[in-house]
Amino acid sequence: MGFFSSLDAEKYDRTYKDSDLARRIAGYFKPQWRRLVLISILTLLVAGAGALLPVIVSRGVDLLQGIPALLSTLLVAGAVLLIGLAIWFFNWGLRRLTSTAIAEVVAKLSSDAYTASVEHDLSFYDEFSSGKIVSRITSDTRDFGELVTLITDVASMFIESLILAVVLLAIQWRLSLYVFALVPIVFVLGLAYRTIARRVTRQGMRAMANVNSTIKETVSGIAVAKNFRQEGSIYQEFTNANETSYHVNVKRGLALSVVFPTLNALAMLATAVMVLAGGHSVIDGVVTVGAWYLFILSLDRFLFPIMNLTSFWTSIQNGLSASERVFALIDTPTAVVQSAAEKVPVLKGDIVFENVSFHYKQGEEVLRDFSLHIRPGENLAVVGHTGAGKSSVAKLIARFYEFQQGRILIDGRDIRSFDLADYRRRLGVVSQVPFLFSGTVAENIRYARRDAAEDEILELARRIGGGEWLETLPQGLDSQVGERGSRLSMGQRQLVALMRVLVQKPAIFILDEATASIDPFTEWQIQQALDLILQQSTSILIAHRLSTVRSADRIIVMENGRIIEEGDHRGLLAGGGHYATLYNTYFRHQSLEYVEQARAFAAGGAGEE
Amino acid sequence: MEQSTTAEFTSPQQYKTDRRSPARWVISHGLRQWWVLITALVGALGNAGLMAVASVQIGVAFNVVSAPIFDPQALLRVFFIILAAGLGRGVLQFARNFGFEYCAQRIERNVRRELYASLLSKSMTFHNLQPVGDTMARATNDVREVNFLFSPGLNMVVGSLSFLIFPLIAAPRYHISLMLVPGVFIALYFIVLRIYMRGLAPITEEVRESFGGLNIRLAESLDGIETVKGSAQESGEIGLFDTNVTRYKKAIIAQGRKEAKFLPLLLYAVALAGGLLHALLLFRQGLVDLGGVVGYFGLLLMLDFPTFASLWAYSRISLGLAGAKRILELMNRENNLDQNLAGHARPLRGEVVFSDVCFRYGEGDPVLENVSFKVEPGQTVAIVGQTGSGKTSLARLINRTYDVSGGQLLVDGVDVRDWNLENLRRNISIIEQDIFLFSRSIADNIAFGNPEATREQVEAAAKAAQAHEFILSFADGYDTVIGERGVTLSGGQRQRLALARAFLTDPRILILDDSTSAIDSATEDHIQRAIYAAARGRTTFIITHRLSQIRWADLILVIRGGRLVASGSHEDLLRESDAYRRIFNE
Repeated sequence: MGFFSSLDAEKYDRTYKDSDLARRIAGYFKPQWRRLVLISILTLLVAGAGALLPVIVSRGVDLLQGIPALLSTLLVAGAVLLIGLAIWFFNWGLRRLTSTAIAEVVAKLSSDAYTASVEHDLSFYDEFSSGKIVSRITSDTRDFGELVTLITDVASMFIESLILAVVLLAIQWRLSLYVFALVPIVFVLGLAYRTIARRVTRQGMRAMANVNSTIKETVSGIAVAKNFRQEGSIYQEFTNANETSYHVNVKRGLALSVVFPTLNALAMLATAVMVLAGGHSVIDGVVTVGAWYLFILSLDRFLFPIMNLTSFWTSIQNGLSASERVFALIDTPTAVVQSAAEKVPVLKGDIVFENVSFHYKQGEEVLRDFSLHIRPGENLAVVGHTGAGKSSVAKLIARFYEFQQGRILIDGRDIRSFDLADYRRRLGVVSQVPFLFSGTVAENIRYARRDAAEDEILELARRIGGGEWLETLPQGLDSQVGERGSRLSMGQRQLVALMRVLVQKPAIFILDEATASIDPFTEWQIQQALDLILQQSTSILIAHRLSTVRSADRIIVMENGRIIEEGDHRGLLAGGGHYATLYNTYFRHQSLEYVEQARAFAAGGAGEE
Repeated sequence: MEQSTTAEFTSPQQYKTDRRSPARWVISHGLRQWWVLITALVGALGNAGLMAVASVQIGVAFNVVSAPIFDPQALLRVFFIILAAGLGRGVLQFARNFGFEYCAQRIERNVRRELYASLLSKSMTFHNLQPVGDTMARATNDVREVNFLFSPGLNMVVGSLSFLIFPLIAAPRYHISLMLVPGVFIALYFIVLRIYMRGLAPITEEVRESFGGLNIRLAESLDGIETVKGSAQESGEIGLFDTNVTRYKKAIIAQGRKEAKFLPLLLYAVALAGGLLHALLLFRQGLVDLGGVVGYFGLLLMLDFPTFASLWAYSRISLGLAGAKRILELMNRENNLDQNLAGHARPLRGEVVFSDVCFRYGEGDPVLENVSFKVEPGQTVAIVGQTGSGKTSLARLINRTYDVSGGQLLVDGVDVRDWNLENLRRNISIIEQDIFLFSRSIADNIAFGNPEATREQVEAAAKAAQAHEFILSFADGYDTVIGERGVTLSGGQRQRLALARAFLTDPRILILDDSTSAIDSATEDHIQRAIYAAARGRTTFIITHRLSQIRWADLILVIRGGRLVASGSHEDLLRESDAYRRIFNE
């Protein structure tokens, strides 16, 4: 199976032994065994009835050598009707059972895959895009389920051809050879078709990707073009792309349009040969007229299963490697491992890092022998350049990642000994891009504490700038936030995320401060919300705003995973060390002095360069 | 059709189309390809006809063989006829397939061209109101749907219909009454297909909807995994996922059960048996010979193509019409601002007066109420307020992206509605929040509004916009093609290119929607200088979050909930506005 799994493989992908894979798959199908048995029986019945139809019709033709009795006429027609009804009925049962069995298996598999994904720690999500994980949970599981349809369809057609083949052989072997001679020809034709189709489609898709992006660009650019009165030039660009698209598509259409006519012409050619050869066989008395008819009718029933057979193996491989991808997702071990699952009481918020070493990737140490003590209730700001290890400190406290050496103690207890869910309930985390789920504002505020009362939320909301921010929302707390919070402004999203923490009242608060630009009024409200949280929790602030570093009790300056300076804003700035440099790089333009001098500065600079 | 004016673009229109309804419109495009369609139609009918010929000839062969005296020449003739029919079918079926395909591609191209030309001829208002993503979807997916309507949609419909007709046409050659079964089949076929598809539609919709719900929450919860874990809500999310999966599963099972009852197949089975019985009974009466029975049965077998193919062919047609409807809706949307070609046309000075301006979108709630202020030529105005307070709408009234609903807006003492629109807009530049750059060279992007600009002028503009430095940091400098080889620009860099563009067009009024955030002070320095330089010598409106810009503006407008709650200089506002004072208190 290793060969096919190279299709957009991820690092966690593994190759399963065929026996393991089979056992694993069987496990999912086991609860469906009753349905599977019935499906197999019905598959056989559909195939049998399908093969019987031409046989019966040809018997009927045999009757026409003289004047048939009314009874046998009725019997033949009745049999054809019965077989037709039976095929429909068996098919009905078959499709019904298959779709149920598939749906059950797919639901179970995707549920397992999702559960496993949610259990993975964040290092997993850093490495693998959530979009690809989503497609494993939805489309790979579905592809896997398709295996059942694929197998029953092909099995049914194959068995039907097989039965017919036996019947034909039993009637006359030489005529049968004419039919069987078609098999390799159609097979080769089918393979050729697949190769051509794949090549033109691939070429077409590549060309279309370019064209599509140009078309997209020219559509997006309309407003700009109009602004500068450049419609003519953009129309030209569009027309070129549109024409290219047209030519590529016509070429592809031409290649794909050839296939079925060729196949059908071939089928007619075979029919013509069979009419001629069979006719002579009848005259020679080798076969009956009815048998001759059976041979003619059977031709079609050999052609199409063979066409399908050429793609069957690839489809099976696709289904199996889809299952492998899902199993790999389920089986990947999480890096964060707890040594015990102790209950976590109300915490004071005392945090100690003891000689902690941590890396995301082997050989790229982020924290080295890192020690830090955060006292209960303290507000600690962490500053430094990108990659200094600031957010690692915060993420280790949240237990999002596994560290490699040293200890982290919360209220004097090893962080690894906690029940993880229980521990995280004591934490409030606001990430750099605050994330909201579709639903109402209230639902998002209650996300970490489902039982929070409306009154309590409203009371807290009012403590932020008199609750004005709620008034700007169309339906207050009941406003829909849209997918990922898209209907709210960045500032509003931050306020909601902070409200979530306020309602939750965690012992430890972790904030990765946003860098987005927010209007000064909302900014002020955010600061108020933040002040409220800082009063109630031990806080670790990865600060990007000047007002935040100022409100911290202690600032640590980090570089290359070490603390190189610590103190409070005033003291550090006066000291003129690393913090003063950082201040000049990141915070200077946020100060009131800068704001006051901006005009003179900008005017002075405008003429230079 | 839109009136052609000098103000908005008119394209070399390819041909007129009937835009009264989606069906008429699609037909009017289709008729332009009449010669291709006729070829395809001939292909479809010929293909089905030759199939019928082959069936009949097989019957003839049976007569030849069962005749008292065997005539090998006759059998050979049958052989050659079938052979020729086979080759003919190949050619004609190809004509049908490729004919529809060719026609579909031509129509896709023409439809897209028509849509694009129509978009270019729309006003700025239209483009400012119309989300780009939506337009894109129509220009790509919906146009493609119209293509699919022709191929495979119409191809399969016409192809399968001709397979439906020929058994009916050929049957009377054996006996006139043999038209009964194909005739009844055709009548019932459409009824049964309709019943089946009507029953399936709501179930398919539920499948789509439940999958949508499942997928959205799934993607959200994985994107927000940090929030999920940070709030210890894993089990809650798993529970929610299971609920969604169960709903989807039920929908899928319901769909499977409905599809299992595929009625046309049942009809086909009954038709085969009924037709066979009918032919056999006629044979007993001596009205039909052996070849007749065999030939007729062969004709009935042709009905399997319509039985299976048309199911999805008809839904392709309805999807295509739905796409056509969305495209038409976009093209037919009215342009509500008049160009006012006879209006004032002269250079602007840049004085702007709002007096009691009110504005609402259509019949909606007021967005702006009683806004009054005056801006002298060359002043810089900072517009401050929360998201959704009406800042952007206010700025957009100036170039008549929208028209005021009440009050008056004067530029140089003349109501904006009395200006020649082209003249007004030529003198007003807008730099949006999301800056769009073309995948062309940086120099071409800067010179976009003024293609005749020399390289020296482009560089001077870039220098004034503080962009020269970062442009030179790319290997190809000004010739760097944006988007190629991973060349991407930050929001701040894009903004500076847009400013450089504005330097070259030199508008009298500049409207700048600034929401970039500077990560570091050095970048902020660049932005400050660039914007200051751009504002110098022209009336400038800056929608801004930057205290520094607010601080140096000549006039500050504080908007809240559509009202101008405070205006004046920094000193005025410090005195008069609590909210303003708060944000300047550290």
